[in-house]
Amino acid sequence: MSITGIEAASQETAASEGALDADAAKIEGRSQWQLTWRRLRQDKVAIAALVVILVIVLLAILAPAFVSITHHPPNIAYPNTGEDAAGNPVGPGTNGFWLGTDGTGRDLFIRILYGARISLFVGFVTTAIGAVLGVIVGLMAGFFGGFIDTVLARFTDAVLAFPYVVLALALAVVLGPSLTVIIGVITFFSWAAIARIVRGQTLSIKEKEYIEAARSLGAGPFRIMIFDILPNLLAPVLVLATLYIPTAIVFEATLSYLGLGIQPPTASWGDILADAQNFFQTSWWYVVFPALALLITTLAFNLLGDGVRDAMDPRTERVLAAGRGRRKRRGKRQVLADGQSELAAHAAPYVPPAEGS
Amino acid sequence: MAILGFLVRRILTGIVVVWLVATGAFFLFFARPVDTVARQLAGHAATPQVINEVISNLGLNQPIMVQYWHFLDGLLHGNLGYSYYNQEAVTTMLKQDLPPTISLVIGGVILWLVVGLTVGIISATRARSLFDRTSSVAVLIGLSMPVFVIGELLILVVFVPSQQHGFTWIDTGYSGISEGFLKWMGHMILPWITLAAVQAAVYTRLMRGQLLDTMGEDYIRTARSKGLSERRVTFKHGVRSALTPVVSQLGVDIGQLLGGVVVVEQVFGLGGIGQVSVQAIDTDNLPVIIGFVIIAAIFVVVANIVVDLAYALLDPRVRIA
Amino acid sequence: MSEPQAGAGTASTPADAAGDDLVRVENMVKYFPVRTGGLVRRTVGHVQAVDDVSLSIPRGKTLGLVGETGSGKSTLARCVAGLIPVTSGRVIFDGRDITNLSRGAMRPVRREVQMIFQDPYSSLNPRRRVGAIIGDPFAIHKTSTGGERKRQVQELMERVGLNPEHYNRFPAEFSGGQRQRIGVARALALKPKLIICDEPVSALDVSIQAQVLNLLADLQRDYNLTYLFIAHDLEVVRHVSDSVAVMYLGRIGESGPRDPVYRSPRHPYTAALLSAAPAADPDTAAARQRIILTGDVPSPIDPPSGCRFHPRCPKAEAVCGQQEPPLEAKAGDVATHLTACHFPVRAGENLAVAGRSEPT
Repeated sequence: MSITGIEAASQETAASEGALDADAAKIEGRSQWQLTWRRLRQDKVAIAALVVILVIVLLAILAPAFVSITHHPPNIAYPNTGEDAAGNPVGPGTNGFWLGTDGTGRDLFIRILYGARISLFVGFVTTAIGAVLGVIVGLMAGFFGGFIDTVLARFTDAVLAFPYVVLALALAVVLGPSLTVIIGVITFFSWAAIARIVRGQTLSIKEKEYIEAARSLGAGPFRIMIFDILPNLLAPVLVLATLYIPTAIVFEATLSYLGLGIQPPTASWGDILADAQNFFQTSWWYVVFPALALLITTLAFNLLGDGVRDAMDPRTERVLAAGRGRRKRRGKRQVLADGQSELAAHAAPYVPPAEGS
Repeated sequence: MAILGFLVRRILTGIVVVWLVATGAFFLFFARPVDTVARQLAGHAATPQVINEVISNLGLNQPIMVQYWHFLDGLLHGNLGYSYYNQEAVTTMLKQDLPPTISLVIGGVILWLVVGLTVGIISATRARSLFDRTSSVAVLIGLSMPVFVIGELLILVVFVPSQQHGFTWIDTGYSGISEGFLKWMGHMILPWITLAAVQAAVYTRLMRGQLLDTMGEDYIRTARSKGLSERRVTFKHGVRSALTPVVSQLGVDIGQLLGGVVVVEQVFGLGGIGQVSVQAIDTDNLPVIIGFVIIAAIFVVVANIVVDLAYALLDPRVRIA
Repeated sequence: MSEPQAGAGTASTPADAAGDDLVRVENMVKYFPVRTGGLVRRTVGHVQAVDDVSLSIPRGKTLGLVGETGSGKSTLARCVAGLIPVTSGRVIFDGRDITNLSRGAMRPVRREVQMIFQDPYSSLNPRRRVGAIIGDPFAIHKTSTGGERKRQVQELMERVGLNPEHYNRFPAEFSGGQRQRIGVARALALKPKLIICDEPVSALDVSIQAQVLNLLADLQRDYNLTYLFIAHDLEVVRHVSDSVAVMYLGRIGESGPRDPVYRSPRHPYTAALLSAAPAADPDTAAARQRIILTGDVPSPIDPPSGCRFHPRCPKAEAVCGQQEPPLEAKAGDVATHLTACHFPVRAGENLAVAGRSEPT
């Protein structure tokens, strides 16, 4: 069929396309972020997790207010009201101690609140720094390739494989245990974890035709990295960062537990739990409440991170949602017919993810 | 034969790595102003006299390279120096403290692999069933918990009540196999569970995801259509190829395993090299710390070689490094 | 400016005075090394993507470059655009040698040489708005900013047939044909002299193809553009080209003005391609006899000796495997219609009855 023969037909199509255009003109371009937020809003579990996190943050910020209410500063011991006859901690609700006391008669609830401050601070700060560094390193390694990539990638791998305890030990010896040591150790690993993923993403984005188009326009490497590659990286990096925060929090708690970080009397969940070991027989609350605080915080961040990840990439959601028992709450996005087994669904033809992913 | 060459190369690289780590540790600790080091070793309350003694006894005012040479010399002769605290040879200490750590590591790894992979496989083959959903929730919780919290909770919930009711098999602390296999297990069971719990969660999720992906591939459909039983299809084809990422993950985890080991030893008072090194921090016991660092490096290198071997055996495409 | 060398086999169109060529490719060679993987990387061979190709395009004209996948046409395009370094040979643009220039030296050239890509779905960054994409050239070469840039972008959008109010939309919200128009607008932004079109309509529906081709033709007229038009569909090429070149495995098999090549193809490969093009009239289609080529396209790493087409050629004889045929005008053809063949197709010869074909 010659080209000229279909020109007449094509003009009809152009006309109808134009009509469609007029209707569609009313819809402004919806960015990826707006779409993600809409999807996230519908995920009840993720929203619940978000609320929990906000509550925890609020509690942490308002810790001094609670001190005024209970009249129990975090580092003051109350041997009279806070300990029983045998010198053991008192239980929740006694003598104005909402959750009981710790080994030296300090208000457990207040100490948990102040511990939250440390954990959240460390979590956010190390993740933020790590994300920035990780993106820079990963982007450079992935984009420039060659020698730079080999050096950076090997270095990243070495860092990731490095046992963190050894590093923490070493730093603790040289610098003395402190918050700085903790932030240093955790950041040291966080950037590597992010850099590796960013590098992978960059490598695959680099091969796309629009990058070639940018080069053909005369764009320099930095312009391409910032304007063309980076926007495509933001989504995975955000997911990574959200999921790294709980890792950082657990990291800090573990290091403090080992005595390599925050030193008493400053309250840190790890420290509290370390001391609680001496009171297993007598004071279950001393273990349970800080453990619960830690667990709820990390769980909330993990759930939020999963939710954000799924909101950004509906295809992954389809694959993972089946195993999380949350399908019923996602009616709109249910794409498998009921009664089909997951495996049969996986044998179905591959549907490429939407451009927005 | 390619495997042999591969092995030799990796061992040589490994030796270089251990040497680098030892050197790094040495310089990190000893390449500081002499006074600082001496003060740290002598203790905070030391008088200037004591400090000077320490300096001369340990040869701290010798040029750093001379000290380094002594250090290397000692290393090659299997001598890691002496604990400042009680004059015990570090190597002796290590020998004493190794068994709990090894028991913990081997038992823990086996437990998490078995549990993690099994649950992962079952979850994948019975996707969306009650089992799958329950295990997913368990996985999520497991991933969110720090190791020491699990340990403490286990002690609180299992050890303390059982002791109070006279059931004394489960115990904290360590007892060697030579003192009774059952007793040994009683001491190790909770630490194993603690170490394995988080890791099992990771591997369950990994295995489940990988198996689900693999089972959707075309060659699986072919195998099924050839008439192979579902079980055979799953195991012979599906699991086998889903194993390679698991082995990769294992390689990464081996390195981080030391962290978990240290924590578990601390929680249960096992007295392994992990716990001892952490205690060494409090007493600024540098030789012990350096000894631990070197052992850790050797451990990581060896484990990685083993994992890479397993990887090469599993995936024929990766036969040469 | 040098005169075209006699017998050098330069593909060109009739109005070919030396200074009239916008682009000239001289003896371009592009080999990609094949390396073994692993720690030690040795070069074990070369993909001979482009092997001694020369062509030229006069100002304001269109050269259609045709070939199968693997013929090297896309590689050639990218070499001309300066996206891939050339192994040897020269690219002369507007009198200047732009072969393998550094990125800095190439920058001003890029304003004049632009490219339109094949896949409308991957040639636009999905995360950027269309206004930003089209405005990129202005930003990169710092020719305008802010409101002025926006105005220019919207003008371009209108020119290519897009609604300028869609300035803030994302590529995902456009159809394939519209996305290709975005690509055209982007290429047009800095008023280039040469636009290399790498299969710009291959990924589009046939009805949309016509629209885009008409757009390209209009633009050529309005802005006196020169096109290097790459395609694998001969009908498309016939519609747009002033002259044609047919590539096979990195070499040019036949080239010349459009009509002579289409009416009387001399190279057996060209003849086979033309015979395989679908005919609109079912009767014509039924009556036509297709020339079937035997065998697969050989690998460019180890191309056949002599004439690269000889293993599949219905007319091949011993000499074809030994001597590479020169690209030259054959008896009875205009001087600019060049063919590289020892036994070119004679007028009226029907390869389909040469004993190696079947009627459709």
